[in-house]
Amino acid sequence: MAASRDDLLIAIRSAFLKKSTQQKFSLLTLVLISAFTILLSSLDFRIIKILKSSINEVVYRSSFVVSIPENFLKNTFIEISDYTTFFYDYKSNKDELSQLRSKNISSEITQNENKELKELINDYVSSSDKILAKIIVDHESPFLKSIIINKGSKDNIKIGTNIYDQSYLVGRVIEVNFKTSRVLLLSDLNSNVPVTIAPQNIQAIITGSEDNLGKIKYIKEGLSDNFTEESIVYTSGTGAIFKSGVPIGKLTKLKDESKTNFNVEFYSDFSQLKYVFAEVITKTEIENLDDTNSKNTNPIDAKIKILEDEKEIIEDSNLKFKEENDLLKVKVNELNNQILNLNSKLSDQKEKIDQFNIDKDELEYLRLNLIYSHKCQTRKLFSTGYKIGTPEYKECILNKGKKIND
Amino acid sequence: MTSLRSKGTFLKLYSWLPLIILFISVLNEFDLNYLNLDYFSFNFPFILIFFFTLKDFKNFDYIFVFIAGLFNDTVVGLPLGISSLSYILICIATSYFRNITIRPSPIKDWFYFLFVVSLINSINYSILTLFFSFNLILMNYLVNTFFTFTFYIIFALVFKHYLKSIND
Repeated sequence: MAASRDDLLIAIRSAFLKKSTQQKFSLLTLVLISAFTILLSSLDFRIIKILKSSINEVVYRSSFVVSIPENFLKNTFIEISDYTTFFYDYKSNKDELSQLRSKNISSEITQNENKELKELINDYVSSSDKILAKIIVDHESPFLKSIIINKGSKDNIKIGTNIYDQSYLVGRVIEVNFKTSRVLLLSDLNSNVPVTIAPQNIQAIITGSEDNLGKIKYIKEGLSDNFTEESIVYTSGTGAIFKSGVPIGKLTKLKDESKTNFNVEFYSDFSQLKYVFAEVITKTEIENLDDTNSKNTNPIDAKIKILEDEKEIIEDSNLKFKEENDLLKVKVNELNNQILNLNSKLSDQKEKIDQFNIDKDELEYLRLNLIYSHKCQTRKLFSTGYKIGTPEYKECILNKGKKIND
Repeated sequence: MTSLRSKGTFLKLYSWLPLIILFISVLNEFDLNYLNLDYFSFNFPFILIFFFTLKDFKNFDYIFVFIAGLFNDTVVGLPLGISSLSYILICIATSYFRNITIRPSPIKDWFYFLFVVSLINSINYSILTLFFSFNLILMNYLVNTFFTFTFYIIFALVFKHYLKSIND
């Protein structure tokens, strides 16, 4: 028993410490170095960051070169599968294009309005430049879904920079090197995006999942009952991590055994990305009125400035009122003319109606006259009728032959 | 003379082939999954390192294995040192197994490989979730372990042929 324990110990010691003839380091040394490296990488030391960044630069480039044959195979496979659905795609794209063209105009108007409103709310104007970046490494690891782009701190890319495929959100930068950056895709489990689900206007958080769909999290129970497959998901801008109003995807129904679940189908296909856009935002502060006033040291000057401003505002508003007044006068005249026209039309129509009524009465009288004339007119001696043309005769006719005395 | 020299260079390159493939595989991170099957992935470097360290292959230096681990971490985006630790732990396991084995058999190696891969993936998962707060899917690890174990025997046959050709 003791001998077997000794053998085990010898074997373990040998495994850890004994160097073979070719080996330069014992395994124990390497284990310790690994553990030390893990420890250092978990700490945010500047030197470690620089070292890591330079390793990244070299490894990403090497990885790009090494991946060329596999990428070629992959692209060929994708191209072949694309050709098989070419015609169907063409037709659906054509339809979609015509729809999008019509939507584009209203979208531009909304964008401009949105920009104006944001300027009012945020106190700063954000001007953004979208830089085209090439994906140099896109090995979708089963554990971490990320891509490497060929833009880094040299191109003003920062941690958190939003990355787009056309106008759809793809992810954000989580690691920046000098000439490369790592982008965490929306489909990764560690990705959390604050979103708005429209048209229901529900706020939620979208996280990645194993099946490349977004999962809706942190919404009140029952709110999901309002979801439909036409609901769209876009960034809400909460937390200022992502820009607001960027489309992400649409809801898709997943029928479970017990209930219906909604997941987000991303607009962008992350497995087929070749180029992406990195949005570099520069914020320009709007000069605050209070700040400029505080710069005026003399209070009288400040007062004069305020009064001048006030005067200017009153003059402006007066001008506006005057213009409005003129416009209203023109409108009143137009309306008066319209009323006159309508009145004349009305009197014409009244006359016509009266004439029509008279004609109608006359016709009725003539019709009755044909039927009851023998009853009402006087013919021979002892007859009780009336003379034709007299009012009594007319009344008799209108009373359908009944005489006044009857 | 020139042909002899070129033949020598080729043989030298051929004897370094496992290490070259290791570096290509960590830099490329290929899983050969063009069909986009859910969860499908296997860890080729694990198979390669396990086989060649078990056979105590002369041109398979531990320090290169360690560097390959660093490269893998950089490509995948894991904290630096995680893969190096995993690879070195495989080396330790194979070294121990080599010491205690009197009569080697491929089936024994295969099942020992399953044990080692499971253990290392568990360590990996624990470190990443406990110390680095990564959100990981356990199912991915399980399927990865299963496919790595399954493919080991196929690759082991290929590598055996390679070793035979080197020895000849």
